[in-house]
Order: sequence, then structure tokens, then C-alpha cells
Amino acid sequence: MNCKRVSVHAVNDTMANPFDMHEQESAPSGAFLLPTDSEILEGFLCPICKCDLRTPERLTVHVEHEHSEEQDLLKSLKEIFSIARQGILKGKKRSAAGGPGGPEGTEPSPPRTFGAESGVAIGSAGTANNPLLQPGASQPIGCTCEHMAYFKAVRSPRLERYAAETNKLIIRLDKLLDGLPTEPDQKKRHEQSKVPWIDGKLVKLCPTCAKSFGITRRQHHCRVCGSVMCDSCSRFLTLEEAGRLVNPTVISPTAASAALDGSDTQAAAPPPNESNHFRVCEHCMRLLMVRMEMQDWKRERPLLRQYYEALGRERVGIEPHIGMYRRILESLYEGDVIYRLSDVSTLREKIGRSAEKMDSVSKSLQALPTAPGSREEALKKAIRLGCISYIKEQMLSIPPLPVEEEIKRIQARKRAETERRLERERRLALEAFERLELQAGETADRQTGSSSSSSTASTAEMTNGRYGAAVSTMDNWSGTQTHGPAGGTTSDPLIDQINIVKGYIRQARAALRFDEVATLERNLSELTQEFYYRQRLDTDTKQSEAP
Amino acid sequence: MNVIRAIQMYIDKMITDAGPGMKLLMMDRETISIVSMAFAQSEMLQKEVFLFERLDSVRSNEKLKYLKCIVFVRPTKDNIFMLQQELQCPKFGSYYIYFSNIIPRTDIKILAESDEGESVQDFKEVYADYLPVNPNLFSLHIPSCLQALSWNPEALERSTQGLVSVLLSFKFRPAIRYRAGSTAAQTLAKKVHETINKETALFSFRPPEDGAAPPLLLILDRRDDPITPLLNQWTYQAMVHELLTINKQRVDLLRVTGVPKDLKEVVLSTEQDEFYANNLYANFGEIATTIKVLMDEFQKKANDQRKIESIADMKNFVETYPQFRKMSGTVTKHLVLISELSVQVGQQQLFEVSELEQEIACRADHSTQLQRVKRLVSEGKISSANALRLVLLYAMRYERHANCDTSGLLKMLHDRGGRSHIVPRMLEYISTVARQELFNTVKITDAVKLTRNLIKELKGVENVYAQHECVLKGTLEEVIKGRPLDAQYPIMGNEVPFRRPPAEVIVFIVGGATYEEALAVHRYNQEGHRIVLGGTTIHNSESFIEEVLAATVGVPFKHSRSLQQFHHAPAGTA
Repeated sequence: MNCKRVSVHAVNDTMANPFDMHEQESAPSGAFLLPTDSEILEGFLCPICKCDLRTPERLTVHVEHEHSEEQDLLKSLKEIFSIARQGILKGKKRSAAGGPGGPEGTEPSPPRTFGAESGVAIGSAGTANNPLLQPGASQPIGCTCEHMAYFKAVRSPRLERYAAETNKLIIRLDKLLDGLPTEPDQKKRHEQSKVPWIDGKLVKLCPTCAKSFGITRRQHHCRVCGSVMCDSCSRFLTLEEAGRLVNPTVISPTAASAALDGSDTQAAAPPPNESNHFRVCEHCMRLLMVRMEMQDWKRERPLLRQYYEALGRERVGIEPHIGMYRRILESLYEGDVIYRLSDVSTLREKIGRSAEKMDSVSKSLQALPTAPGSREEALKKAIRLGCISYIKEQMLSIPPLPVEEEIKRIQARKRAETERRLERERRLALEAFERLELQAGETADRQTGSSSSSSTASTAEMTNGRYGAAVSTMDNWSGTQTHGPAGGTTSDPLIDQINIVKGYIRQARAALRFDEVATLERNLSELTQEFYYRQRLDTDTKQSEAP
Repeated sequence: MNVIRAIQMYIDKMITDAGPGMKLLMMDRETISIVSMAFAQSEMLQKEVFLFERLDSVRSNEKLKYLKCIVFVRPTKDNIFMLQQELQCPKFGSYYIYFSNIIPRTDIKILAESDEGESVQDFKEVYADYLPVNPNLFSLHIPSCLQALSWNPEALERSTQGLVSVLLSFKFRPAIRYRAGSTAAQTLAKKVHETINKETALFSFRPPEDGAAPPLLLILDRRDDPITPLLNQWTYQAMVHELLTINKQRVDLLRVTGVPKDLKEVVLSTEQDEFYANNLYANFGEIATTIKVLMDEFQKKANDQRKIESIADMKNFVETYPQFRKMSGTVTKHLVLISELSVQVGQQQLFEVSELEQEIACRADHSTQLQRVKRLVSEGKISSANALRLVLLYAMRYERHANCDTSGLLKMLHDRGGRSHIVPRMLEYISTVARQELFNTVKITDAVKLTRNLIKELKGVENVYAQHECVLKGTLEEVIKGRPLDAQYPIMGNEVPFRRPPAEVIVFIVGGATYEEALAVHRYNQEGHRIVLGGTTIHNSESFIEEVLAATVGVPFKHSRSLQQFHHAPAGTA
């Protein structure tokens, strides 16, 4: 409860005064407030189905059998028990030495419950902690062995050598292209002046095909490295390709197709003349083509990939909404009033629209032209298939919208329940208060009191956060308290605050940021409670002033 | 210790390591089965793996540089060569290479030298080199592992690799025991032991705390228990395998009449089929009840759906469609399977056959049993495969009985066209251990077994079709209870044997495991033990007989000299 106050505090700085009073007065009585409340169960409760199993062993076994999917729960349970056991054993020794600890009260205190069971616990501790009895325990991934370091160590020197060589070729290409004459004779002279050609007399055989040169098989020079080869072993690099290699940022329209075909088409269709090509040897051609492929790949963004990325973005965008939708539905069915029915329906609409969009994008992806039987066609089909199943299983299978009347009924029931519960709490509080007065003398049980107070305070805090909007819990206290000084005028900053928060909520709703809506709604409900409370104080003071 | 989970985690890791984007998975003949047993294709699609290709049958040279290529292959020479070719002219933008076992350093060098385009981004060994069948059962899919009753070298190599990968995927450095007297088990144990000692860096796991016993790898031999694979089974998975054959989770229903078109081949996966996972070990009677419940549930749902009155109802129907569809698929699939099983049970008179099989396996009563076998074999109501099994069981059981009439039975079997030549081969296949101990012909020394049998006799039989207990069950009991194992299951290497029972046990059966044995392991695991069973393959009676034939080619007839006239297959039959 204390935490709760503080949070109100932070929102509402100007109104500090009455709360300080409130806090000081409620704290001592709060310590004895709730331990006997029947809403708060005690014992070895299963955290899932809330039934009391009475001993830690039975609880562990129960969780193992009934909720075997909750492995982490089971683990934490066992940890808690082993820690508790150690603590109790120590505590027992100490209390045995120092006489019985704590007075006999009607309310069962948790430490005693543990203590009573510890005798049984020790005997079977071995089985509870036996790792053999946890068949479903999470399994670590098996061994792997990394070889990339060695792989790189072998690969890098080779790649560096190739890269250096390719770079040298590209620098030469740049020199060749710089001020290249179009007239064949001049072009040849220009080429020879930039790259030293090997003396043809020294080469008797073509180094690639090992056939001898003669009148029918003439010598040709590679324009980039200057080596000698025969005509049939020559490759040709178009000026355009050379330009792209030298200056990769310039994108030519045929880039994609050239990259796809690779060097095959070059060899298949030799150029009619040498004016728009460089004659190169096979080795240089291969190095240059590898470089060009890498450049193209980095730049290349085919339509299919663009569509696919759009699909991915859509999916990433909608995934949190689907989770939110389920959460809101859950909270609606629990009878909370933080979200409205209209929220889910907007969200549902958005998910529906997103599903449609994904469907249409994947359809247009599938409609892209590809060769039949190609890898790309199979890829298209698979993407579409994956997309359809995602839409079906994740987006269309979300539970349907709840009916408004049903939600209202649930909320009404919840409200009634909360009221009943509050009524009971108030009664218990009164009883506790009376008891407190009775026991005014016995302050011995300080420790038990404070421990239970902290736990009940947190429970109250939790229930408050959950059902807070329905009814103000603080009202309960007004009966047993003296009123603090009134502090409200009509030009209340609280109202401004409320209005501001309401505005924020509207904005957050419109933007479908429902996490924010939830936080703001909680703030709002605290603010309104506060407002009502102060109104009441106002009227009370007025009434008391009136006579 | 879940073999399916182990494989799934490896595959998941490969895919997540490759990062987001469109991916292609390149596999080989064996790894494609491994992947398909761990994940359904639809699950892979959701992990952005859209294309699946075999490294050894590449579709085309079409280049798709925007695809990431995950290579998951076994480290064979062929694969290295093909991968080298692939890297020299890469078709995809980047490569993430995962070998399913230990790869020699020289091969890494070869591949690194081929990667001129710098397209390899990752290079790892992941030890997913076995087929996960059930969570507690793996297979290596070696249909026949012996030739002339000793290891086929390739099968030995593959088994060693498979076992090493199982150990690494659980991070075990085990104590290795093998069945005394079985050279096959001993050879394999030695090979695995050698590998562990060679790869010390890989197997440098933290030893278990406070001196607990290390995990145990127990290598057994099918030749010591030839009975189990020959018996008719009555639990769901075992029955489907016996009568319809499960091949890597798939059941071929082409031969079955009246099956809907889309169920010509059904997939039985514990991961994707909840009904199957829950009823794997249920017996035939239980499963019939369960399917009835499932049917009712389904019908109720179907009826609910039929009440479509408004458009909203219709929309509701469509929205719940995936689950609806899924459920109807499960119901029909299992209905088809179970009705086919019951047809077979009726046609083959399996109740009668099975009862007699169990009697022969568990009780010594020569003259009555001989008469019953004779009657069933001669009457011709039962199939010749079942007749053969009865004769096989009889021949093994009463091989040394004074009035043994195997040759008479074989003559009858031969006359009705049964494959009588298998019987002498089986008698050559079974090991000395099986001869001496299998039918526990009252060895005074084995007091434990004796009392156990006595108790069994006293208690009477609960289920006449499930009296038989596989040898493995007794073996595991001895292991679990921490009885001295050294005499029957010597330890490999010079490690100091631990007297305490091991926390984890991996059992591997050379010559194939069976689903009956998987059931025995499952029962122990339910009691909280951690046992995984594996075999060179998973046998039913048919595949086991084939393995026996393959293993005894060229083996001289020693034990069955008296059955000379049946040594060779009749002309025209295999």
C-alpha cells in the first residue's frame, strides 16, 4: 500500500500534504490488517491452480505432474524450498535455544507453517533435489567446433594476393580508359603506351592452349597485363564493363542482366571489332569478372528481394500488435476496464489490414516473371506458402472479438465481487483494529507483524493495480480516520492533471500504443480516486462547518 | 536427454547464425533425413528457409546472390569435392557451412583455398549425425551392418561417427562397456574409444561433480537377442512398424485399400502430432478407446461448425480453420492407421499367432507348443511370414531339445511355399550367448534370474500378448541397480570402473534396435532414469530377417548341419 501512495505522489506533487498524514496513520494498523483475510491463501499453494498441497513435497510433485510445461516454475519452487529449509533449520536451532518464539495468535504465520513441515522435508530432500527426477529439464545445446579462424587463416593470404592483382588490373584499366582514342590504330598505340607488352618473339606457344604461333595463329596481347595469347584464347571486355569496374558507383541499366549471365555470353558472342572492347587474357578476365560480380551483388536489389523485405517489415510491424490483441482480450475477459472494446476492434482491424497487405505483397511477389522450373520460381512459391501459413496461423486465427454485453456482464460481476471483497476487508480491518487496541500492551511480536504487513501491503498493491479502477480502496479508511486538513479549491490542479492524462490516453489510443494506454489508465484511475476522495473530504468539512 | 531436441537445437543454431534474410538449405542424402525428422517443412518456412537442395543433385547454375546458403552435410570425400566446386563458382551470396561430424584439417584447407569469392561466412562442426526417431531413440539407418558375421567396414565407420556425434551432442565423455563375447560390439567400442582419445580437445568436458560415475555407453549385439524383433507387437508405434513399416517417420499406405488420396503417405512425428506423441506406447486396446474419444471430440467440433447461421458464424468458422483442419487431419490419419491395423490383426489371426509366440518365448513346454505350431503352420490360415516366425522361434528355442522337430516343421513350411531356408541361416546368426542364456534354461549360477522367473510364474500372467521381456530390460536393470557389470559387460580401455550406477546411459545395439526395446527404455525413463537407445537401424521382423540373410552370406553351416536339405532357397525365390 505504501508503494501505491508513493506513485500517486509522484504524479501529483502539489498535493503532498494529506497523503503524508494518511501514510503515517495507516502504517501501524496496516501491519495487522490482512493476515486473516480469506482472500489471501496461505500454505503450499500451487501458483497455477491455487490449491493447497500442504507439504512442499506434494506441491513439487503436483507441479511436476500437473504443470510439467512450467519447468522454470518447478525449478524456482525447488530452490525456494531448499533455501527455506536451510533457513528454517537454522532458525529452529536458534529458537530452540532461546525458547519458543512468537506468541500464539489466531492467524497462522508463514514461518511456522514451514517449520512444522521441516521435519518431513529433511527425510525426502534427497529425492526432491535428485536431478534424475527432472526428465524434462532444459537441455543445453550440444558441442560445436569452430573452424572459421583456421579457414580464414588459409583463405586470407590467397584473397589478398588476388585482390592486389585485381586492383593493379583496375588501375591499368583506368589509365587505358583515360583519353582513349576511338580510331583503332591510335587506340592500340595508346594501349601499348600505358601497359608494357611482353616481347612476342620470346613466346613460341600460346600459354593457354599450348599451340604454336604462326601465320594462321597470330599473337595477341592482353591489354591489361601485356601477356601473349592466341585469338581463340582471347577474352573481350567491353568499354562499358571496364568503365563500371573502374567506377563502380555508376549504375548502368544492363548491370543486372550482365551480372546474371556472367562471362558466358562474352565468350559466346565475340565482338565484331576491337574499337569498343579491350582484348584480355583468360586469367585477367576471370579476376575482373569475380570483382565485377561482387560489386554488382552489393548494389543489386532485385524486385523479389524488395518485396520480400517489405513482407518482413510488415511482419515485424504487426507482431507486437498480435500479442497486444491477445493481452487486451484477456484483460477484457477478466473484467478490467483499462481497455475498451473499441480498442480491440481497431487493433483487430489493423491486423486484418496488415494481413491483407501481406497477402497482396506476397501475391505480387509471386507474380514476378521468372523462368519456369528455375530456382527463383521455387523460391517465390515457398515465400508465398510461408506467408499464407503465417497469415492463417498467426493472424487470422486470433480469437474473435468478444460480444459487448458479455464484456459488460463480466465487468459488472467483477465490480460486484470487488465490492464484496472490499466490504469484507473493511470488516476485517475493523476487527484487526479492535484487536490491535486489545493487544496494545503486547508488542512482543514485532517481527511477525512487520513481515506479514509487508506481504499484505504488496498483495493489496497488486489487487489495487488490477481492479483499481472499479472502486477506491482508500475510502475504507475514511471511516476509521480523523480527517486531514482540506486542501481543494474548484480551480483544482488535479482536474487539469486528469484532463491532461485523458488527452494523452486519447493520443495513445489513436496511435494504437496500448501499453501506454494501460499505464495512463492506471494513473488516471488513481487520479480520479484521489479526486473523489478529496471531494468527499471537502463535503465532509463543509458539512461539519455547516451546523 | 532428448535426441530430437538435441538435433533441433543444432539446426536452429545453424539457421539463427546465418541471420535474417532468405535462406536455402543445402544438404546431402543423409542430412536431409536428419533435418526432416526434426522439423516439418512449414516450420522451416517460418524460419525463412525457403529452398531445400541436395548438394549431390544441384538443380541448375542459376545464380541467386541475395540468398544465403546454409550447407549442412556429412564430412565425406564426395561432399568435400562437390562443395569445393560450389565455392569455386558460388551461386549464392554467402555460405554458412556446417559439417555433421569431425572433419579433417586438410579438408578445411582444401575448401578455404577454393573460396576465392570470400563467400564463406561461417564454418563449424555440429554433431547432428544421427536420425532422431523418438525423444529416447535414434537410428543410423544402416539396414545391414554385418557381412559374414563381422563388421562391414563402411557400416563400422558410420556407426563410430554416429556414436561419437551422439556423445558430443550431449557433451558426454562416457565409460564404454560392451557385451562380452560379441566381437562386433567390442570392435565398435574400441573404435569409439580411440576417437575419444584422439579428439581430446573436443571431449574435454568437465568431469561430473563429487566423483559421480561418468555417463555409460553400452554397446550390445542384436545377435544376443534375436527373439525381440521376431515377435508381434501390440503397442501403437511398434505395431505400425511391424505391420505397415515406418521408414524415417513415414508410413506408406499405397497398398492399403480405401485410403483417401492425401493419405497415401502419412508422417508420424512425435513433434508435430500430439495424438501420436501421447499414444506411442499405448497398447492396441487403449488406442482404440482413445481414437473413439478423439472422434467424438472432433464430431462435436464439426457439429458446432455446422450450425452456421449467419455470416458471422461463417467467419468464425474460417477463422478457426487452421486448427479445425489440423484436427481433422490428425483424426483421419490415425483412424486410417488404426482401422488398417485391426484389419491386419483379423486377417492374419494375430491374436492366436501372438499368443503362441509369447508362449514359446517365455515358457518351456515342448510337446504342446510343437503341436500348436504344427497345427497353425499346416492349417494355412495364417500368412507364411507368420508361419516362418513361429518356426524360427521354435527352432531357436528347442535347438537342443531331444525331440526337436525343426526339420519336420521346415518341411511343412516348405510345402506351403514358406521361405524355409531362412531358418538355418538364423541358427547360424544367433550368438553363443543367445544359445546359452536366452531361454534361461535353468543355469544355477544365475540365481537372480531364476527367482525372477519363479515370481513371475507365481504371479501369473497379466497380458498373454506382452509376457516377453526383451533382454535389454534385464541388462538395464543391472546397470541401474549398480550390479557388477565387469564380467558380462567389460569396460573399454584402462579406466577405473565406477561401482556406482551411471546417471546417464546410452545403449547402442549393433544390428538394430526395436520399438519394443524403446518402450522398455521409456518405462525406465518414466521412473526418472536417463537412458537413450540407439541402433544401426530400427527393425521389424521383416527387416530383421533381411539383415540376418545379409549377415550370413557365405557363412559355413555349423549349427544347422542336420537341416542340410533346407540350406538353399528354393529355385525362383530369394
